[in-house]
Amino acid sequence: MSTMTHGKAEGPKQLIEQDVRERAYIPELIKGLAITTRHFFRNLFGERDTNPQVVDRTGTSLITTICYPEEKVPYPVGYRGLHRLVPREDGKPRCVACYMCATICPAQCIYIEAGEYGADDDAAESRVIEKFPKQFVIDELRCIVCGLCVDACPKDAIRMDTEMHTPSEYTRQNFVYDIPKLLRGAPVTHPSDPWFKRGSSEQPDHVHKEAHTRIGEGNTSRLLANNVEIDTSKPVAVTKFIK
Amino acid sequence: MRLGMIFGWLCFIVGAYFGVMLLAYGLGFWFEGLGAGGSHFAAILCCMLICVMITATLLTMAERKWGGFFQDRTGPNRARLPGLPNAVLGGLPHIIGDVVKMLTKEAFSPERANKYLFKLAPMLAFAPVFALFAIVPAGPTLAMTAADGTVRQVMMVAANPDFGLLYIFGIASFAVYGTSLAGWSSNNKFALLGGVRASSQLISYEVALGLSLVGMMIAFSTVQLAGPTGMVESQGQYIWSTTFGSFDVGLQGWGIFLQPVGFLLFFAAAFAETKRAPFDAPEGESEIVGYFLEYSGMQFGLFMISEFVEVVVLGGVIVAIFFGGYHLGVGDLWLQNLAFMKAHPVLLGGLYGLVFWLKVVVLIYVQLVIRWSFPRFRYDQVQTLGWKILLPMGLINLFVTGALILWDPTLHTLALVGLLEIGVVIFLTVTPPRQVRREAEEAGHGHGHGGHDDHGHAAPALPSAGTH
Repeated sequence: MSTMTHGKAEGPKQLIEQDVRERAYIPELIKGLAITTRHFFRNLFGERDTNPQVVDRTGTSLITTICYPEEKVPYPVGYRGLHRLVPREDGKPRCVACYMCATICPAQCIYIEAGEYGADDDAAESRVIEKFPKQFVIDELRCIVCGLCVDACPKDAIRMDTEMHTPSEYTRQNFVYDIPKLLRGAPVTHPSDPWFKRGSSEQPDHVHKEAHTRIGEGNTSRLLANNVEIDTSKPVAVTKFIK
Repeated sequence: MRLGMIFGWLCFIVGAYFGVMLLAYGLGFWFEGLGAGGSHFAAILCCMLICVMITATLLTMAERKWGGFFQDRTGPNRARLPGLPNAVLGGLPHIIGDVVKMLTKEAFSPERANKYLFKLAPMLAFAPVFALFAIVPAGPTLAMTAADGTVRQVMMVAANPDFGLLYIFGIASFAVYGTSLAGWSSNNKFALLGGVRASSQLISYEVALGLSLVGMMIAFSTVQLAGPTGMVESQGQYIWSTTFGSFDVGLQGWGIFLQPVGFLLFFAAAFAETKRAPFDAPEGESEIVGYFLEYSGMQFGLFMISEFVEVVVLGGVIVAIFFGGYHLGVGDLWLQNLAFMKAHPVLLGGLYGLVFWLKVVVLIYVQLVIRWSFPRFRYDQVQTLGWKILLPMGLINLFVTGALILWDPTLHTLALVGLLEIGVVIFLTVTPPRQVRREAEEAGHGHGHGGHDDHGHAAPALPSAGTH
C-alpha cells in the first residue's frame, strides 16, 4: 500500500489536472457562491448558540461571535489576572519586603519601599519578621502579566488569582495600584509561617515541609557545614529567628 | 421567535415596496391630470428618490450585517435607539449613528489640493450613478380612466428617450470623472494611483459593457427599455407558452434565456464599473486606500452612498434588461385580464412594481454575495479579464447571436441555444471534476479504507488517501 498520492493529508484537495470546470471559471464561481449563501442562510435563520466555548457550539447558526459585555468567556483555571496582595490574619499584607518580585519583574513595574520593625516594637510579628512594605506599588500599565512575581515570592504574598483583568480607568495614575487597592481577598495562613515557630528550638519545626521556609535555614546550615565564616556582627535574618 | 421576526421583516419590506409603488401610480395618475407627462415626475419622486435612495441607505447596513452572516459573524449590533435598550433591530440604529457622524465631521481638504475640483469630485461621482436609473421602468405603462372619461397613460419611468441604452453607456462612463478627479485633485500619491486605476479599469470594461448588450439590441430591435416597444415589454412576450384554463404558462423571452453569455459579460463588466470587490482595485483598502483617501465627512459619505446607489441601480438595470423587468414570468396575461385588476389598475401597477423591486433585491443580494465571496483581482488580472476574455467573448457572442437571429427571426433558436448554455453551466457546476470522480472510483475498488473527511461541504466525500 502506498502513501499519499497527491497533496497533503489534510486540507482542501489540490487538483493536479486542469478540468474544464476550472478553466471555464463560472462553475467554480457558482460553487463558491453556493457555499457563502449556505453560510448566510444558516446564520440568518439559525438561532445563535451562545455557549462561550465556541468549539462546543452545536447550533444551526455557524456564528462564532461572543458578544462581549453580555457574554463572557470564563477564564481558564490558573488564569493570571490582576495582582493582589495576600493579607494575614491580622489584615496586614503577608509581604516581608524582600524585593524578590521587584527584582525579577521584567517590566520593572513593582516598586517597594521597605520598613523595618524596631527592636522595641511590641507588635507580635516584630520578633519573627524583620521587614514590612511601607509602600508596595504596581504600575498595572507596565505589567506584562508574566506571573514571575508570583513565582518569585517566598512568602505567598502576591497572587494573580483574582480572575479579573485590570479594569479600565480614566487616568493613567489610576492604574498605579498601592497597598489599599492591592490588599484583598481572604487571609491566608501557612503552618510554616515564621510566627508559628517555637522560639526555643534550634531547628524550625517545619524545616523540610515548605520550600519557602527552607530557603534561608537550609542555606545557613550548609554554610556552617562548609566551615564558612559568618560575620556575626551583622544581623542575619534567619539565624535571628532561630536563636 | 427568530423565524417570526424574519418573516415580519420580509412582510414589512414587501409591504413597503408595494405601498410606495401604489403611491407612485396614484401620484402618476394625479400628475398626469395636471399635465401630459406628469407621471414621469411621480416616477422620479417615488422610484428614484424614495425606492433607490432608501434602499441604498439600508444597503449601507445590509452590506455590513449580511457580510457578518456570510463570514460567520453577527455583524453590527451595538447601536440602540433611545428608549429601546434591548432592541438590536437588525443593526438599523447604526445608520442613524453613521449619518450623524458623517454630517458632523469636518469636511477636511488638504492644503495643496485643488479646492474646486476637490469639492466637485464627490458630486461628479454621485450624480451620474443616481441619474442612471432614469430610463429603467419600475412598472408597466398603464391606461387609467379618469372620472371625466379621459384616459391617462401613466408611465413608471423618469424618462424614455429614443436612445435608451446609449444613455446608460454614456452616463455610466461619466461617473469615472468623479473618481479620477478625486484622485488627482487630492494631491496625494495613493489617491492618484486609485484614480488612475479607476480610469484604466473603466476603459478596459467600457467596450465589453457595450458589446454585451448589442445581442439584446439585435434580438428585440430596440435600444429603448420602457415603452410599448421597449425591451421590458418585449421580454414579456412568450416564446413557448400554453394555458391552463385562463392561467398562462410558458417561457418568456427574458434576456437571461436569450443571452446568458451576454448577461455574464454585462454583469462582470458592470460590476467592474461599480468598483466593488472583486474589482475594487481603485480602492484597495489594504494597499492604497484609494481615490477617496483625503476625503472626510459627508464628502466621503457621498462616495460611499454612490457606491450603494450603484448597487441598486445596477440591480435595476440588470432586471430590466435580462430578467424581464416587472414581468412575473408566468401568469402575466391571466393577471392583466382579471376583472378586478382591470377595475383597479393602480393595484396592478403596485403589484408589478413590487415584482420589479423584489427582483432588484435578489440581484442586490447576488452582488453582495459576490462581494463577500471572492478576493480582489490583481491589477493585471483585471486588465486580462477585460481585454483578453470579456472582449473576445463579447465579439463571439455578438456573431453567434446575429447569425441565429438572421436564421430564425422568431427567437426560438436563440432561446434554445441560450437554454443549452445555461444547461451546460449547471451540468458543469453539479458534476465533480474528472480527477475527483476517478479517484473516488479507485478508492472504491481499493481496500475500502476511505476515511471520509467532512471538511468540504460541496465536494463529494473523498477518501483522504488513495492507493496506486
